[in-house]
Amino acid sequence: MRRPLRSGAAMLLAGATLALAGAAPALAHVDPPAPAPPSTPVTAPPAPAAATTALPRVGTYSAAGADTCLGCHDAPALTAIFRTKHARPNDPRGPFGHGGLQCEACHGPGGRHAASGGTDMAGMVQFGHDAPASHRRQDAMCLGCHQTDVAQQWGSGPHAGAQVACTDCHSLHAIKDPVQARATQVEVCAGCHQAQRVDLLKPSHHPLREGKMACTACHAPHGSSAPAQLVKNTVTETCTGCHAEYRGPFLWEHQPVAEDCSNCHDAHGSVQPSLLKARAPFLCQQCHEGAGHPSVAATPAGLAGAGAAPSVYLVAGSCTNCHSQVHGSNHPSGRALMR
Amino acid sequence: MNRLGPDSPRPAALVLGVAAALAAGAAGAQTADAGAPAVDTSAWKCAQCPFFTGVAGDATLGGEYVHGANAKYGQYTGIDRSGGYVDADADAHWRNAEGSYADVEAQRLGLPARDASIDGGQEGRFDLRVRYDGQPDHLYDSALTPFQGGNGNLRLPPGWVPGASTAGMSTLGASLAPVDIETQRRTVSVLGQYQATPQWTLFSQFQRQEKDGTGLTSASFLTEAVQLPRYIDYVTDSIEAGAAWSGHAAGLRLTYTGSWFEDDSNALNFANPYTPLVAGSTDGRLGTPPSNQLQQLAATGNVLVPWRSTVVTYGLSLGSLRQNAAFLPVSTLPGAAAPAAGALDGNVLLSHYALGLSSRPWSRLSLRGNATYEGRDDRTTPIPVAYTVTDTYPGGTALAPRYGQNRLRLDGGADYALVRWARVGIGGEYIDLRYGSGQVPTHTAEARSWVRATVLPLPAMRITLKYGDALRKASGYDLAALPAGESALVRPYDAAPRDQRFTTLTGSWSPLPTLAWTLEAYLANDDYRSSPLGLQSVHERRTSTMLSWTPRDTLSAHLDAGYQSRYALQNGSNGSANDTWLLADTQRFWNLGAGGRWVPQERWTLALDYRYAPSFASNDSTVGGLAQAFPQNTTRLDTMDLNLSYRCSEAMLVRMRLAHESFSSSDWALDGVAPASVPDLLSLGLQTYRYNVNLVGVTLHYRFGKTAP
Repeated sequence: MRRPLRSGAAMLLAGATLALAGAAPALAHVDPPAPAPPSTPVTAPPAPAAATTALPRVGTYSAAGADTCLGCHDAPALTAIFRTKHARPNDPRGPFGHGGLQCEACHGPGGRHAASGGTDMAGMVQFGHDAPASHRRQDAMCLGCHQTDVAQQWGSGPHAGAQVACTDCHSLHAIKDPVQARATQVEVCAGCHQAQRVDLLKPSHHPLREGKMACTACHAPHGSSAPAQLVKNTVTETCTGCHAEYRGPFLWEHQPVAEDCSNCHDAHGSVQPSLLKARAPFLCQQCHEGAGHPSVAATPAGLAGAGAAPSVYLVAGSCTNCHSQVHGSNHPSGRALMR
Repeated sequence: MNRLGPDSPRPAALVLGVAAALAAGAAGAQTADAGAPAVDTSAWKCAQCPFFTGVAGDATLGGEYVHGANAKYGQYTGIDRSGGYVDADADAHWRNAEGSYADVEAQRLGLPARDASIDGGQEGRFDLRVRYDGQPDHLYDSALTPFQGGNGNLRLPPGWVPGASTAGMSTLGASLAPVDIETQRRTVSVLGQYQATPQWTLFSQFQRQEKDGTGLTSASFLTEAVQLPRYIDYVTDSIEAGAAWSGHAAGLRLTYTGSWFEDDSNALNFANPYTPLVAGSTDGRLGTPPSNQLQQLAATGNVLVPWRSTVVTYGLSLGSLRQNAAFLPVSTLPGAAAPAAGALDGNVLLSHYALGLSSRPWSRLSLRGNATYEGRDDRTTPIPVAYTVTDTYPGGTALAPRYGQNRLRLDGGADYALVRWARVGIGGEYIDLRYGSGQVPTHTAEARSWVRATVLPLPAMRITLKYGDALRKASGYDLAALPAGESALVRPYDAAPRDQRFTTLTGSWSPLPTLAWTLEAYLANDDYRSSPLGLQSVHERRTSTMLSWTPRDTLSAHLDAGYQSRYALQNGSNGSANDTWLLADTQRFWNLGAGGRWVPQERWTLALDYRYAPSFASNDSTVGGLAQAFPQNTTRLDTMDLNLSYRCSEAMLVRMRLAHESFSSSDWALDGVAPASVPDLLSLGLQTYRYNVNLVGVTLHYRFGKTAP
């Protein structure tokens, strides 16, 4: 039986070969090719228009790039983009890098638009939910640059399947894109994921509404091969990224913990303590019906003030009053998760 | 024997084979593309482009006075007691014409929840970020304990009188002292990114996370239990490093991840407050989380196939989870020793392979599909252990079982645009989960399917309705793996046969440019009809709506409301098939929010936010035909936040804040449970949360340097 290490080495070698095969043509080019828009033809700037105001054909780029656009579009809300990564003149990858198409890299050829005094929008792309261009057309402008880096997994993910456009979440002209700031990201995601926003208001919750965590601490909205678009391969790997004390492996494992944290917890929020889906002893009794106290029905007679002495199986930590090592134990005598 | 496992070369070879073939084609296509004609941008000088150079920033300094705060109010912020707090934020930015830059951001500098980051670099060449993040977690400030000491050794005070029950602990009342159940998590990370070429990026990140403080745990001597404050001192160091290549037609990311968790203490020793049940059982010892490490290699990427917008994605990850902390002695009884094995030598292999495809074969039809394999192969050798029961008496010898599983997941969907205003879609998912030996469930298979319709009946209106069904079957149970004494009739719900139906409705409408309304509703019914004992059904309802109105730039308002409910039914047995009981668990949660922002005059801004969020949980049991209802557990959150700001000048703004927040709760597990209330539980006497907080604050904001372009 082949040992994983050897097959792992083979995979590494194959992966390196793969990387080199893909990189060889890229490394051969010192200067990056100018990015061409995905679906419009490229042409040289037109000859000066005749006095009869003949407009350049659709797909013609402007004469002076951003200097043409800024002649009309100079509102602070738009020019704020010059404080962001999309407007870095020294970055050859960006629209404003050397040879970049500047505003027209995203909005499409604007020669006809400029020549018409701003009335003709043919061939250009406006962004937004109410924009004339389809979300697919809008996304194509972004994916033209980003499909092979941050949006590698986009196409086969649920956001693409639900026709979510890039600009449904991103505000590129803002100095600080709200979805990229921890303090404001939740409100952007909650525009669609309202139920999860409600979950954050529950008494037991992760610190998202306090601005100390964001949705992207656990989820990869651009897509991933993990369930629920998680940042790691599984729920457990994602949770134990911060809660490494539960990673194990332990001498005495608790099977549902080893399988999936969401067997017992609801990470978005819960009305029960510790993000549990249900409280002990009832949660535990959904799997444990052993002889003796595990299977005995809990009744209000075991509560404080009910007349008889409160039951250790019910109040305070309930089952965890004794079985405190519920995530697993490395103690030699931790067989029942009591040590 | 699992048909697919990390030993099997087939998944990895398949993923790599497909990826390599497509990447080779993409590399060839890219070479061909490199010669395409470019736009002549030589005249595009960007002379009007307002690139930022110089220095700019904001600074905020002020104070807040809080009255009535407690642990629950300040759980994650550190504003956990009445008094004054400094409110200080800052951010500064510098950039020169050559593209060198530095950004500094700091928030909540006056609180334990402070965070700060410094970013710098050279545009298009390298980026460096250093970040600090503080995260308090204050759970309880009402805990009382007679235990003293720390660092993993809890002693009882001199003169302690043990008792057969808490009633017999005659010095308990005089020995109780308050203890905060509170931890602080501090994270420092350093991230570097180097742009070797426009296509190749090298990156690395180092992160250290320290968590210390006092947590909450429990232990027992047979059925005599005690809640304990637990000393916590954890350190997690992690490294992520790799390279990413991004071309026109393919992308690849290679990553190494390493994570090392260290626990400063390997045990929590505690004195026995009860009269020992057997001679010598005067101390207990709890194990603490053992140090462990995780290392993974991952490769992810995609290939753009030049046919009908087709993209193939792939991913593979191989990892190893190790733990080899030295065993503690089996008990605190005299003569007890650690197991002969010395340590676990734990080794779990984690594998993940994925292939995905998306395509648009026709302009109206889009397709997508994924195949994913996840494996957890626990290679740890099971160790027989002669264990002791709660540091009291020998229990026997048992073999520590190992748990692993392999999961194959196939999912896909298709969407078709009937007309411009209507689209339909179908999709499905198949999950095949096989458990390793030593587990009661052996194999489950779940098939899920759904249909979806989206219509745009009016301009700016969109409605989507989705309906689906999922059926999970369990093909076998290994009753030989059942723990001794466990009922053979119980079906753990995560592996039990289940029938699920779900419906989702989402809608949005903007009847006016200034008005927007959204709605989301979700219903799901899970039935576990094949489970003789255990969870029987779960019904979930979730609905929320939001209305926002922005008639002009100087005025906006919003209103939102939501409701969620979860109703679960489970049954159990009082030891025999004829003596079953039933429990209904009902949880309901509402929220109502409203707010707005108004600029009555150029310099004045008023913002108000109100939120009300109550919850209600009940447990109703039927035992022996007799219905018995637990008291309702309730929470209620009421919060109002009013901010008034005055812009003194272009650079200076003063903000005044008035806030009120009240929270109340009832919890039958805590209400009336004092340290000595339960004869066989020495509890911490934790109380349910309740606070009424008023906050008043004044801050000054100063903007310096260049304003926004």
